[in-house]
Amino acid sequence: MTGSRINQGIQRFPVALIRDFPDKGFPDADQCLSKKQVLSSAVFLCPLGATVSHETIFIHAGLADKSRKSRWPARLDLLQSCTGLFLAIFMWLHMFFVASILLGESAMWSIAKFFEGYFIFGKAYPWLVSCVVGFVVLVLVAHALMALRKFPVSYQQWRTIRAHTKVMRHGDSTLWIWQVYTGFLMFFLASAHLYQMFVWPQDINPYLSADRIWSDGLWPFYLALLLAVELHGGIGLYRLAVKWGWPNASREALRKVKWILTGFFLVLGLVTLAAYMKIGYEHRTSVGEPYTPTWALEKNEHRGDGQ
Amino acid sequence: MSAIDNNTARQNAGQNRQLSINILRYDPSDPASRPRMQEYRIEESDSMTLFIVLNEIREHQDPTLQFDFVCRAGICGSSAMMVNGRPQLACRTLTRDLPNVITLAPLPFFELIGDLSVNTGKWMRGMSERLQVWLHAKEGETDICRIEERMDPDIAEQIYELDRCIECGCCVAACGTAQMRKDFVGAVGFGKIARFRLDPRDARTDDDYYELIGDDTGVFGCMSLLACHDVCPKSLPLQTQIAFLRRKMAAQGLG
Amino acid sequence: MKTIMTDVLVVGGGLAGLRIAIAARKRGHEAIVLSLVPPKRSHSSAAQGGMQASLGNVTKGTGDNEDVHFEDTVRGSDWGADQIVARMFVDTAPKAVRELASWGTPWSRVRGGDHEVIINEQKVTLTERMEAHGLIAQRDFGGTKKWRTCYAADGTGHAMLFTTSNQAVCHGVEVHERTEALALIHDGERCYGAVVRNLITGELVAYLAKATAIAAGGAGRLYSATTSAVICEGMGHGLALETGVARLGNMEAVQFHPTGIVPAGILVTEGCRGDGGLLRDVDGERFMPHYEPEKKELASRDVVSRRMEEHIRSGKGVQSRFGPHLWLDITLLGRHHIEHNLREVKEICEYFLGIDPAEKWIPVRPTQHYTMGGVRTDHTGQSPSLKGLFAAGEAACWDLHGFNRLGGNSVAETVVAGMIVGEFIADFCDKPENSAPFPLTLAREFVQREEAKLAAILDGGGSENAFKLYSEMQEVMTRHVGIFRQGDALLAGVAHLQRLLERSADIGTSGKSRAANPELVMAYRVRRMIKVALATAHGAYLRTESRGAHFREDFPHRNDQEWLKRTLAFWPDETASLPSFEYEPLDVTKMELPPGWRGYGAKDYIDHPDTPRRQQEVDAIRSQMEGRDRFAVQEALMPYADKLPASLAGRNERLDEPLETSQ
Repeated sequence: MTGSRINQGIQRFPVALIRDFPDKGFPDADQCLSKKQVLSSAVFLCPLGATVSHETIFIHAGLADKSRKSRWPARLDLLQSCTGLFLAIFMWLHMFFVASILLGESAMWSIAKFFEGYFIFGKAYPWLVSCVVGFVVLVLVAHALMALRKFPVSYQQWRTIRAHTKVMRHGDSTLWIWQVYTGFLMFFLASAHLYQMFVWPQDINPYLSADRIWSDGLWPFYLALLLAVELHGGIGLYRLAVKWGWPNASREALRKVKWILTGFFLVLGLVTLAAYMKIGYEHRTSVGEPYTPTWALEKNEHRGDGQ
Repeated sequence: MSAIDNNTARQNAGQNRQLSINILRYDPSDPASRPRMQEYRIEESDSMTLFIVLNEIREHQDPTLQFDFVCRAGICGSSAMMVNGRPQLACRTLTRDLPNVITLAPLPFFELIGDLSVNTGKWMRGMSERLQVWLHAKEGETDICRIEERMDPDIAEQIYELDRCIECGCCVAACGTAQMRKDFVGAVGFGKIARFRLDPRDARTDDDYYELIGDDTGVFGCMSLLACHDVCPKSLPLQTQIAFLRRKMAAQGLG
Repeated sequence: MKTIMTDVLVVGGGLAGLRIAIAARKRGHEAIVLSLVPPKRSHSSAAQGGMQASLGNVTKGTGDNEDVHFEDTVRGSDWGADQIVARMFVDTAPKAVRELASWGTPWSRVRGGDHEVIINEQKVTLTERMEAHGLIAQRDFGGTKKWRTCYAADGTGHAMLFTTSNQAVCHGVEVHERTEALALIHDGERCYGAVVRNLITGELVAYLAKATAIAAGGAGRLYSATTSAVICEGMGHGLALETGVARLGNMEAVQFHPTGIVPAGILVTEGCRGDGGLLRDVDGERFMPHYEPEKKELASRDVVSRRMEEHIRSGKGVQSRFGPHLWLDITLLGRHHIEHNLREVKEICEYFLGIDPAEKWIPVRPTQHYTMGGVRTDHTGQSPSLKGLFAAGEAACWDLHGFNRLGGNSVAETVVAGMIVGEFIADFCDKPENSAPFPLTLAREFVQREEAKLAAILDGGGSENAFKLYSEMQEVMTRHVGIFRQGDALLAGVAHLQRLLERSADIGTSGKSRAANPELVMAYRVRRMIKVALATAHGAYLRTESRGAHFREDFPHRNDQEWLKRTLAFWPDETASLPSFEYEPLDVTKMELPPGWRGYGAKDYIDHPDTPRRQQEVDAIRSQMEGRDRFAVQEALMPYADKLPASLAGRNERLDEPLETSQ
């Protein structure tokens, strides 16, 4: 009954290859490649009409080692997600730290000093903050570089995607446009902010920060940064969840959670900004004078070291 | 407006709605042709679909109008077009679910043949060749006289779920990534890979699939806008399948 | 003139066409498939319920084999089928299913253990054998003794077509999408290919081939209410008819499917009734048991459709603004079953009717569904009167279906005929004498002739509107050549069609584009369609008996004495207004299953004089050979083994019929 057997164990050349060697014509059934060869022949995947490189041919013929497709796209994709996740979590924690001003100048001062190692070493080392800032800058740059690969690279592409989202009126697609806007904005705003924190970490102080916001007139800058960060981060986290399928909830539920979180942090951010503006306004006559809680002041005076 | 609203409104008025159908007209084969919108007016009737609307226009108003229908039952995927901005199957779109003014445009991304007709078939064939979307059988011969290889009934059902794709092109037309990057595989391709990956009869491993979709024209190019998932006329679980593939392919990068 | 040369030219990219091309490629021949649309959009994809093949895996299919499938098919055909072809078919069908399984078709599988089904309104628990767990499952269909219909949920055709189309890509089959054959290139004896129009650019190209195969599907669009896709316009039939030499067989045999939805005419699968769905009338009464106590809703399609129309005529139809209809009730199957095994049905009900079939009844009416007639071929698929022309699938009259096709046998025929005819085509191409040089001058003449025809339409200033002629033809066919036929009405219909044919010579177009131009397409197609319609209508008028789907109210009995023969229509004189007819008798003395009662439908018929004698012979052989295995008995009754291609020979293994390991 051999007649009724069909050759399943062997497969033909991929079509792309056949087309690239027209002079060979169509290989007939006897010239089929074995299964194993076909699996390795995935290197021949190229759009129809494209020319197969000599290298590829040599590899396929067994004259060179089989090359595998680069694993870097996988790693870069993971890196983009991981940096994004890190930045989003950092930004939320950061928000809480900054919002400590709502509990009073003393609370905010303590947190700032905590990060300068004051409560560990008994002395503040602002360069510790610079280190953290430096790390965040690195992550941010990495994230931006990864993300840039997804941005429209030409005006033509930009117009296409704008027209597309406009016509489609599809929520998740439109959100992406906002991610591009806010990401673009943040690249400048966040960089400026981080530069400032990196160079003058000691200026993280209830009064000095408030002076920056009010007397230096930077509150519009922080307002813009706040909006950009919260929108970008919220959308980004939502995107991460649907991109990797975790948590495995419906998109409706995820979107709801996203908006609740974004709303919460926006409100928190706005109230905090208002608090700093109020402090800055009240402190406008003594700009540049840092805040130190009385209990710490005594200690400091006793030790004889100030800011 | 919902279907019920429209119906009630019509019954109250005691007459059928006058629909204004605005169609993008353009004939690329004619050098004198310029893209423009053309309006046709037509009286709505019961159970009227866009299939009926377009054929009535062609038969009674404008015999030059180009569009594609085959099964006219939502099975073959020929009639995908942009209906009021969204890609969907015109054949199974009832006018009673649409407002009085209806805008029809061809699917973007695909080669335009004329008016509402686009060459999805050509692109799909290219995709099929590029992603090798046929079963790569395991070693050994199959004797078709013999009892077939067994398969778990649940796996068979899951494969069928993914196999329901009709290659209509809605997912690609709705995809923001594909609009910007013409070499992007698109959800239809991911669906196929997921389908063969699930099939125990296919000999390929993740290593092989990585060769097909492991780059930025493949699964890592997907920005998870998921319009594909939202417009799929067959309600394929594209969101979870793409996420699944991304996890599997990303694991290749760590291995 | 642009010329493309190849080994095998296939007109039509559905299941049959693609399978032929794959067979040719596997044998080392080049194959080009012409397709009006991307092949995955072909009408094959609309086959929902399944494909018959006697695997006998499920409990209700145990004991099934080729013999039972053969008898069901021949009875279904009302003895119109070619019994040798039916044998070849039932033998190959299990192989086709298994080949598709090995190519990746997601067939639904047997789940060992108990499961509940609905049979005759009763919940019944069936126990599937554990040794069958994971094998391909079968469901019940009309006109069959066993559960034999293999399926992939209710998207069987779709799953099969995608599998086959993907295999075609894998095998490097070239598909020229959006191309249409306008005429076959032939010299009256030998077919050499076709004149082909590119539907995008309008360019005419001569395709020359050693073998040309028509696999262009049915002619459902001759009727206004049809389940067929809009591309099923009988163009394959028309191409053959216009050669003047090739014959169309049994064009009057037109199947009406009992359950087309009202008003869209879209099919809901026979699987609905196979799985236990019922037909109900205006009072909500189940009426089929009254007419057909044996098979009830699951008699053959011709019988159920006629009974439905009969019931509507008796005033029991549901009145609606789209005319009377009946109800299909699948609510009793339960939501889970509908959402898993009848998904497409559910979608169709939701999108086109706005109802949930798990809650509400579906309005249905018999609707044109299948063209049993087609290009007449011998058992190899070749036209007996035009060498080098082959046909397969719905476009062919290979003659598997006779005067009525069983549900699940058409999608099976596409792949089975594709396999068998594909092998024969490869054999044909292998023969040196068939590689004679291509007649380029002849090809040029044919291209010029087609160019002139197109020019006449575009520039001739004709006054007729092609779309109007089209819908008028559909109305005539629906009114005069429907389920119930009558001599006078048929004659009136023929006369009307003749007038339409005359008018079709004077078609003009408003748009003058030679490229993509839907008006031009309709203009050249409609004339060919009217010719096919005439072959159908006049054939129906001439056949003064009732057989299978062809029912004459004025001749209500099957008349084997005079009509056990195949109608052959051809159009030798291009200027004539009617085709010519001749008849090909079926030889009762060679039949394995001599004519008798089908087991359902009308019980009285007029016997052929040879029938009693043949029946005695058959009975004698059977009693002589009692105790011998069924293969030996069959061999003694009607040998066919030499007819199958060697590569497709071999017994089919079943759980109950294990093959010797030595085989």
